[in-house]
Amino acid sequence: MTPPLVFEHVPLGRIRRTTVSGPAQLPVDADGHFSLEVQAHQTVVVVGDETSGVNLLGGLVLALDRVPEGRVLVLGTEVAALDRLAQLAFRRKLGYLPAGDGLMQNLSLRDNIRLPLSFGSDFRPKDIEGRVDVIVAQLRLTRVADRRPAETNAEDRRRAALGRALAFDPDLVILEEPFDGLTERAAAELLELARGGEVSEGGRRTVLITGQDLPALLRRRVDRQVRIRRGRIEVPA
Amino acid sequence: MLGLLVAVGRGTARWLARVGALARFAFGALASMPTLPGAGRRVAARVLLNQLRFTALQAVGLIVLLSGVLSYLTISATITQLSRVGASELIGELMVVAIVRELGPLLTALAVVSRSGTAITAELATNTVLGEVRALEGMGIDPYHYLVLPRLFGCVVSVCTLIVLFDVIAVFGGYLAAVAFGGMSGARYLGIVLSNLTTQDVVLTVVKGLIFGTVIGVIPSYEGLSVRQGPTEIPQAVIRGTVGSIVVIFLFAALIVGVLQ
Repeated sequence: MTPPLVFEHVPLGRIRRTTVSGPAQLPVDADGHFSLEVQAHQTVVVVGDETSGVNLLGGLVLALDRVPEGRVLVLGTEVAALDRLAQLAFRRKLGYLPAGDGLMQNLSLRDNIRLPLSFGSDFRPKDIEGRVDVIVAQLRLTRVADRRPAETNAEDRRRAALGRALAFDPDLVILEEPFDGLTERAAAELLELARGGEVSEGGRRTVLITGQDLPALLRRRVDRQVRIRRGRIEVPA
Repeated sequence: MLGLLVAVGRGTARWLARVGALARFAFGALASMPTLPGAGRRVAARVLLNQLRFTALQAVGLIVLLSGVLSYLTISATITQLSRVGASELIGELMVVAIVRELGPLLTALAVVSRSGTAITAELATNTVLGEVRALEGMGIDPYHYLVLPRLFGCVVSVCTLIVLFDVIAVFGGYLAAVAFGGMSGARYLGIVLSNLTTQDVVLTVVKGLIFGTVIGVIPSYEGLSVRQGPTEIPQAVIRGTVGSIVVIFLFAALIVGVLQ
């Protein structure tokens, strides 16, 4: 059975972002190739510094950035090979928490969580509200749900961004730098929510986490951690 | 000499590439209309209503002021001169040709560019820099659907509506000026204006509204979403969006006069 997420011989060092999302870009002469399989229900963390290419992985999974060589298989599909509309439809099957949270600043936290459901699903408004209420309660956002992102703290914003990523209850979740600036306790709580909470191992979501580092408390809680340097896996943990 | 030619050629190539990218963007936005998902239509409609409130409703005061002052200045400055040479009948033609047909659409478009065009560029550029556009794409939401189309249609509807408002206020302002300063009866003024107003003028007003609204919806959106280098590029994007819109609006105004009139 094909793992839900496969990176095959991807030259991270030669990829440039096609959309804006952050200052980090790899030097084009860093000629590393990256391969990784993320098995179902596993939580895999890929860490590396700004020049490692780690900040590109999320975009490659969602085909927001292009792969010049190699390929990325997501739930058995090469998303980059789909046409634009099919790519958009496919991304609704995944959960994505981008670096810096990417919340819409002109919407409340509740509206941010509601947005993917009300735009990309045919659920009835009543069902959408019910789902949003459940997510808001699970993420302990009730107190601040009607505030805009700028009126809340970093932890609440990260919770809301995670809630938005989990809105469709996806099987595969991609989290970019999800724990930056959070306490270890808050990070551990978010990790459990991303994995699906207190369920048996077979019921857990597949999670890929990328970032510059992982809080010490979480290292024991993930299934695999790899470190990459200039586009290549350096130290498999 | 060769260096000059190279510089001109390079500049021209850059400009053509920019026009091409803008045309692709406009085509992409229009082509994305049929693919707007059913559920997304409700969300996009809410964004559209918000855009109409900001672009049309909140601009009413500015348009009334611009139109009223312009018509007052035009009529009060010319009616005495025209009366002296026995050509006061021309006041109606002046109102229709100068204000209703040409200045009305042009000034309305400039007012909308200065209010909403700048705001659209700044907002979309901020969305881009903060990673919101990337996040939308990551959630499977087409930025054309959620960000561009509501602004495009909001601008088209707003500009058309505001041009009509501008013209109505201008004619009414001219009426007051003609009665107060020209010694002309109100009925005579209105009779002259209405006799000079043709169906072609109404059609041209609508055509200009559609074209200018599209320009204001497309160029600022394109410039806002084209930001690549971070927050410092936002003011530059706003300038590019504003100046680009004004230039294209003036070019279209000249083209319409040349082709249709």
